[in-house]
Amino acid sequence: MLLLPILLIPCWYAMVNRVEHQVKNWNSNEFHSMLMSEIENKAKFLSPINSSATNLARILGSSLNGTALSFSEIETKVAPVLFQELSTIPYLSQISYFGLDGLFFSYYTDGNQTLAMYTNSSFFSAPNGRENYIWLMQDVDIETGKLYGKAIESRPWTMANASWFQEALNNKHGSASLETGWNNAQDLLFLNSARLNRGVLSLGFPVKTLTTIFTGVDYHGGSLYLATQDGKMLVEGLPKTHTLLASNVSCTMKDGTSRASTLTIQETEYTFYCLPLDIVGVQSVYVLAVPQNRLVSLVHKNKKVALLLLLVVIATMIGSFLGFVFIIVRAARGEMHLCAALIKQMEATQQAERKSMNKSLAFASASHDVRASLAGLTGLIEICYVEVIPGSELATNLRQMDTCAKDLLDLLNSILDTSKIEVGKMLLEEDEFDLAQLLEDVVDLYHPVGMRKGVDVVLDPYDGSILKFSQVKGDRGKLKQILCNLLSNAVKFTSEGYVTVRAWVRKTSLQNTMIASKRNCLPCLFYKNSQAYNDFETMDAALKDPNVMDFVFEVDDTGKGIPKEKQKSVFENYVQVKETAIGQGGTGLGLGIVQSLVRLMHGDIGIVDKEIGEEGTCFRFDVLLTICEIVSCNNVEAEQLEMGVGTHLLGLSSQTPSPEMTIRTPSPGLCARTASSKSTIHSPSPKQKASHVVLLIQDNERRRMSRRFMENLGIKVSVVKQWQHLSSTLETITHKQNHSHHNSLVKSYFYSPSEYLSRSATSNSITVEKDVPLSTMDGSDYILSVFRRTTPRCASSFILVVIDACAGPFPELCRSVTEFRRGLNNTCCRVVWLEKPMMRIINCKGIAETMMEPNDIIISKPFHGSRLYEVVRLLPEFGGTLLGNMGKMKESLSQVGKMPRDPSSSQGPVELPDHGSSSEIPRKKILSPIENLSHFKPKSRSPLNHGHLPQEQESKELFLSGKKVLVADDQALLRKVTVSRLLRLGATVELSENGQEALELVCKGLSDQSKCGTSKILPYDYILMDCEMPILDGYKAAEQIRKIEKHYGVHIPIIALTGHTGGEETKKIIEAGMDVHLSKPLESEHLLEAIRYIDNKWSCV
Amino acid sequence: MELGQMQGRLAEYTRSLYMEGILDAQFLQLQQLQDESNPDFVVEVVSLFFEDSEKLLNDIARALDQQSVDFKRVDAHVHQLKGSSASVGAQRVKDACVAFRNCCEEQNVEGCLRCLQQVKQEHYLVKNKLETLFRLEQQIVAAGGSVPMAEMTF
Repeated sequence: MLLLPILLIPCWYAMVNRVEHQVKNWNSNEFHSMLMSEIENKAKFLSPINSSATNLARILGSSLNGTALSFSEIETKVAPVLFQELSTIPYLSQISYFGLDGLFFSYYTDGNQTLAMYTNSSFFSAPNGRENYIWLMQDVDIETGKLYGKAIESRPWTMANASWFQEALNNKHGSASLETGWNNAQDLLFLNSARLNRGVLSLGFPVKTLTTIFTGVDYHGGSLYLATQDGKMLVEGLPKTHTLLASNVSCTMKDGTSRASTLTIQETEYTFYCLPLDIVGVQSVYVLAVPQNRLVSLVHKNKKVALLLLLVVIATMIGSFLGFVFIIVRAARGEMHLCAALIKQMEATQQAERKSMNKSLAFASASHDVRASLAGLTGLIEICYVEVIPGSELATNLRQMDTCAKDLLDLLNSILDTSKIEVGKMLLEEDEFDLAQLLEDVVDLYHPVGMRKGVDVVLDPYDGSILKFSQVKGDRGKLKQILCNLLSNAVKFTSEGYVTVRAWVRKTSLQNTMIASKRNCLPCLFYKNSQAYNDFETMDAALKDPNVMDFVFEVDDTGKGIPKEKQKSVFENYVQVKETAIGQGGTGLGLGIVQSLVRLMHGDIGIVDKEIGEEGTCFRFDVLLTICEIVSCNNVEAEQLEMGVGTHLLGLSSQTPSPEMTIRTPSPGLCARTASSKSTIHSPSPKQKASHVVLLIQDNERRRMSRRFMENLGIKVSVVKQWQHLSSTLETITHKQNHSHHNSLVKSYFYSPSEYLSRSATSNSITVEKDVPLSTMDGSDYILSVFRRTTPRCASSFILVVIDACAGPFPELCRSVTEFRRGLNNTCCRVVWLEKPMMRIINCKGIAETMMEPNDIIISKPFHGSRLYEVVRLLPEFGGTLLGNMGKMKESLSQVGKMPRDPSSSQGPVELPDHGSSSEIPRKKILSPIENLSHFKPKSRSPLNHGHLPQEQESKELFLSGKKVLVADDQALLRKVTVSRLLRLGATVELSENGQEALELVCKGLSDQSKCGTSKILPYDYILMDCEMPILDGYKAAEQIRKIEKHYGVHIPIIALTGHTGGEETKKIIEAGMDVHLSKPLESEHLLEAIRYIDNKWSCV
Repeated sequence: MELGQMQGRLAEYTRSLYMEGILDAQFLQLQQLQDESNPDFVVEVVSLFFEDSEKLLNDIARALDQQSVDFKRVDAHVHQLKGSSASVGAQRVKDACVAFRNCCEEQNVEGCLRCLQQVKQEHYLVKNKLETLFRLEQQIVAAGGSVPMAEMTF
């Protein structure tokens, strides 16, 4: 960049110098000589004029004789020639003849006029001599040269003495001089004169005219001076300089060559060239003043300016270039800094990530250890708890310890979950479960917690879609964890109002397209990570499965709410909303885990905006779950299951289904709406009157929910908001009923067995067509599809009164109900009492027995979910039977509620079963009586009794009551221990010391049984078989027993006891035909588990 | 000795047995099985165990004394011993049996003999300890007190 100006400037400078040099040379040598030669030329051009006077004089002289001329002669002979000459000779402005005697004639031009000046008298002829000598002036005719007009006298010029006159006379070649002209302007004239006889002929050329020839030349800035030799200035080149010239410039003519001299005038240096010049014979000098170095100086000056400009340009260029470079450098440096910072930051981030990862891992492993010890602790506490006297202080302390330890375990588990999710190890454990049941369980679990704070926890059936698709496949535990977490948060942060849990199903199609479009837009951006892509693939595959549905859950509370700006961060780990979390504790991990879990299930969680003025938060999340294929046989099984329950509880030995037992199980999704069922829904038989439900529920939200649900089902609902209005509402209804009832017919209430069968058959056939598109169903249809509507045989209406026992003073409520009952003459009426689990108002025995009808139902659990459905099913339209007069009818109805009494529960009238506890039972099996017993009895999974250890213990103790167990063991010690264990569990025990003995005992038992004809009853319910025994070991004994029992067609469960653990031993045992393998030493827990397992296994076959 | 003091000592002693690993939860369960209908259950079981185990130990010793050791038999005996000791809750005997069985598998006579010594020692120890325990209990009963249920406080 710099190289270019460095090269260019010298180059340019050299060129300019050369130009300057040439100009100088040319200036000094050529220029002035050229000018001078031009002047010479001009002078040469004038030189013929020099001799014109002489020539004329010769011509005239020849025509005249040599004597003095008289005036007349002059006038006639000379004057015409003179005139002729004046007209012809160029530049000539004055021509005259002077005689020595004073005669004189002259023509001259004055402007455009031609005049003549003459004198007709000689010096001598005039009387007074020279005094009378006068000149006359007269106009001349331009054409002829004749004088005309009046002659004007003018003063004569004395010229006899004039030098030029004398010279002309004396000089043969005439003379030239500078004289003043005749005319008025008295212009200077070059006089060229020659001798003519005794006179002189002179021709006058005006100086001005001649000098214009010289001055007309362009001198290129120079100027020309002309002067006669005697110092008369003719042309002044530069104004007012002639004096300077006169003093400073001297022209020497000697050598005839010019010599230059320089002079500075007005700050300009001039070179003066002085040369002689002959103009019309007048010897004169011209001075040529050429401004010295004018061009050169111009070039010089321009060169400097140009150089300066060039330098400036270059300087600017360089400056701007440097500036540019500087800026670039600075920017680059900034960028470098940024880059360095970025790299540093990235390194730091990576390091932090690594650290965090390591920490997480270490944390996870440590947590595992901690959990192990914690589990040990809880185990020990449990053991201790058995030891202590119930009710003692120690027991209380132990229970508290247990609670603390469990809390700690929960906390630890949540942390572990987080680290698991972080590491990406969290996997879904898919299995089938009942979603509706799960929801109810969770809500029931938190209901007491909420009630303690005065917050109602309500399960809203919403559109009933969950009921329809309740049998789903998914990760039950994680879904429960999510729900529990959200619910516990909701309950924790709500101090008044309610918490509602809603759930519904929607099709995945919408989301599917959404994701598909997402995928099209950003294929490479998002899925660079192949693992993520794979995840996506699996998710995509999941979405394509038509059985996959999107389940949406909402947990809505009326608590403090979460500020909008905090809503996003709530789902981050370790973040708690400060304002609301004060005093509530927690790690802030919960929602983070929840979010991770929801995402794991291909869903998302968010906070739904509430309407302005509404308080609280509404969490909504959705997960994808597969709907299980429900074959119709399931339906049958399910119904049979219900029936089995009923049969057993009624104490009937036969297992044949009795037609009266028509409780509808909540068999969601089993039947879809068909045209016929729809018609029964929308056009009920005109004879039939809709059932009437009176609702008195204290809590607003629950009341609203119950009412909406029932109204969706087409049930007439009257809502009583305050207990004071109850009696008046009931009275109105009574009045109406009694009025209308007179016209209605009373029909038989019975279903015949065949009717039942056909009904169940149709319902089964309905279940086959379950592909009803979802979109055509509205909310009520969902519910209706779940609740089969049957046309009751009874046209009389049914009134169901649902009363919240806490709504008002209980005796008052009872009284109004009793009055109401009395008022009804032919209408069936049932009362459902809702009781708060915490406060058992109805439990006061006296009141309960005297004031309540035996058919009244008490529900002590929150009134939603299965309890709500059961109550709805009491209505005749939904399969409930009417409260009839027949005893059998009564019995069948009461079975709705008559379940084995929970020892801790009320002694009052019948209670509805707690369906929450049935959730753990796999669906596809028919329960054996024993299973039912063991299942219903402990009720340990109900929220209230959760962790209530003595009760569990109690149930364990009675576990084997009525069972006959054969123990085969050769060691007296082990026999003794086992026997006392079994006795403790309530079993009857027989002993044998080896396999042979055991075999014999079994054979005997079997043959005895067959003799009695009760072959199906087992001689022993279980056999506990030691494997290593003398004489006949356990394996062989078991094989033998299996062979023998085949003849009788029975299967006696055999539990093997060995000192070994491990798969090989188990295999051997199974091969021998034994059912379960237990390792020594025998633990009660293991035994219980084994027996449960056997029951399940064989009851299914 | 004061009754309360004795009871305290018993509790202390029982705890030490658990702490030292001589007994485990199985023994506790045995104690739970004892009730009014079966007041000497634990003592009976334990004495059965000692009878059994002494016989077994003798058998084992004899089997190991032979020129060609029948390791299978030894193993069966040890297995039995292990089973009964586990049932009583004599944890350290059980552990020693486990080691013993490993030696049997390797057919290492030297190791077996060493293990036998170990088992015998443990057996002797637990016998002593339990005898002391029962004596203490008897003293308490004799003094008119009731034997408190062992509280696991470790």
